[in-house]
Amino acid sequence: MEERRHIVIDPITRLEGHGKIDIILDRLGQVERAYFQVPELRGFEKFAEGRPAEEMPQITSRICGVCPTAHHMASTKALDDLYRVTPPPAARKIRELIYSTFMVEDHALHFYFLGGPDFVVGPQAPAAERNVLGVIARVGVETGKRVIVMRRRLRELIALVGGKVVHPVFGLPGGVARGISAEEQATFVQTADDAVEFARFTLDVFHNVVLANPSYVELIVSDAFTHRTHYMGLVDEKNRLNFYDGMVRVVGPDAAERAKFDARHYLDYVAEHVEPWSYVKFAYFKPVGWKGFVDGPDSGVYCVAPLARLNAADGLATPLAQAAYEEYFATLGGKPVHHTLANHWARVVELLYAAERMRELAGDPEIISPDIRTLPTETPTEGMGVVEAPRGTLFHHYETDERGVIRKANLIVATQNNSARIAMSVEKAAKGLLSGHEISDGLLNMVEMAFRAYDPCHGCATHSLPGSMPLLVRVREHTGEVVTTLRRDTDGSIHREGRAA
Amino acid sequence: MPPAIRVLCLGNDLLADDALGRAAADRLAETAGRDVEVVYAPSAGFALLDYVSGAGRHLLLIDAIRTGTADPGTIHEFRAADLITPAGPSPHYVGLQEVLQLARALDLGAPDDVTVLAVETADEITVGGAMHPLVAAAIPRVCARALDVIEGWRRAPAGRS
Repeated sequence: MEERRHIVIDPITRLEGHGKIDIILDRLGQVERAYFQVPELRGFEKFAEGRPAEEMPQITSRICGVCPTAHHMASTKALDDLYRVTPPPAARKIRELIYSTFMVEDHALHFYFLGGPDFVVGPQAPAAERNVLGVIARVGVETGKRVIVMRRRLRELIALVGGKVVHPVFGLPGGVARGISAEEQATFVQTADDAVEFARFTLDVFHNVVLANPSYVELIVSDAFTHRTHYMGLVDEKNRLNFYDGMVRVVGPDAAERAKFDARHYLDYVAEHVEPWSYVKFAYFKPVGWKGFVDGPDSGVYCVAPLARLNAADGLATPLAQAAYEEYFATLGGKPVHHTLANHWARVVELLYAAERMRELAGDPEIISPDIRTLPTETPTEGMGVVEAPRGTLFHHYETDERGVIRKANLIVATQNNSARIAMSVEKAAKGLLSGHEISDGLLNMVEMAFRAYDPCHGCATHSLPGSMPLLVRVREHTGEVVTTLRRDTDGSIHREGRAA
Repeated sequence: MPPAIRVLCLGNDLLADDALGRAAADRLAETAGRDVEVVYAPSAGFALLDYVSGAGRHLLLIDAIRTGTADPGTIHEFRAADLITPAGPSPHYVGLQEVLQLARALDLGAPDDVTVLAVETADEITVGGAMHPLVAAAIPRVCARALDVIEGWRRAPAGRS
């Protein structure tokens, strides 16, 4: 007689770095433990060792197929720190302009096409409609085209300055490789104006489709998708959100500041916990310590990404986004917001901020200054860089010899920062929804929604083929014997094989 | 007028067996002929939209795959048309199917015919890892098969068999 059963929700192939959900049942068929596996890259540190540090912005961005611009920027900033060099103001602005452009593109993509099936189409919609075509059907072909055109124009701008759109190559210690001409500035301004309009339009879509539907709002604030944890995000000198630079601020479950530190001191504040049942490292807030997968001010669990960033900041630096920020907190009952699914809304607020920030920087007269590089002269030893990636705080840390050759490299990526809370969310959803061996499509979707809101990104994500693969759910005895196999096909149908568990 | 045939090779050449897409692209660029556009893309998921849009009539996709059901180096071949069903219920499965559907729905110039040649891998997560000998050995074979597929398209340019 088995003591536990083990359910694995696992895509058959690696596809866009999909995580795997493991659900372990006890002998009564109740959820004992559930967790989210993040496939991790192997060998990165070894690969980095012995390479010139200047290669890191290229290498780290090439490793990641999902947010290369974020790695490129975090790495470039780590090189600034490594060589103790401050980029000229124009270089800094160019970097933030490109970074804002990237954030608009990435957030728009997520809202419409990755998160859209959950909230634009709706969590209660038939499975067969919860996909990109369902989103198009809901928002209309014209809107769909508008998203695609906007995305293309933003990517063209990133490619213009970044050199390559897939993997930008413009970041150098102390500046950037290329400036912006007056003609190019005009293109940036035009595109940024349109991006702001596009972001306002997207906020309207969110209002009309999500907020106008009481059942969606009810779901967002439901207990199954709520955790009271610490939150982390980058802020500027006035504690306003910034994606590109600033101090890392941590607030508690009561929204009060618990820490504020620069990238150089991240190891004093971030530590990693290891569990025997998972190879994922769970980042936690070191001053509080690891107390397990629990909510509350005495637990070091924290989270990053849009929900966390809005909680960690005192406001947004641009007017339209600030208004959207205030509405967000007023509607959801004040600060902080603990509802995981509110990430989708927070992402739209951030989209508006990124677009407005892009417009500010594009219109800045200094953006076309040719003074874009401060040459490094210091002997390198150690450097840390941090940015807010779309999916959360991203740290790069390098140690080198006196020639700038890497001795040690460490990255803490967004999904790692979120891993403890993601695990808690998956477990809570599974415990609330799963009992015994009845596994319905609705269950799978609700459990998946618990982690999709974080937009988890996995290091080994390289590309996906051949698209919508079925999910495989295996109910296992503790001996490993597969008792039942459930296959959810691309049309949403569920097929069951094997003996009843 | 773009070439009627595009070969799209995917994969990350820093990740062990995943480098096969790059190797196949280099090889096919030499051998596929001037009427074929060979593209290498280290891209993922939704970004594939950029590579399937305006692809011409025929698209051949070469990639690494891990099914766990075959030996490394095994070549899986299928046509996307055989797989077209309503897209997956999970939005994180945005991949070839979804971008093809999106390209069609938004009239972005999706190819009519999509054939996939996918080589089974042993390791695609080790940064700087070496390619498995059986996967490396499959590169000439997958390229030869690619040339066969392309030749078939040339002979029946209007065919949608």
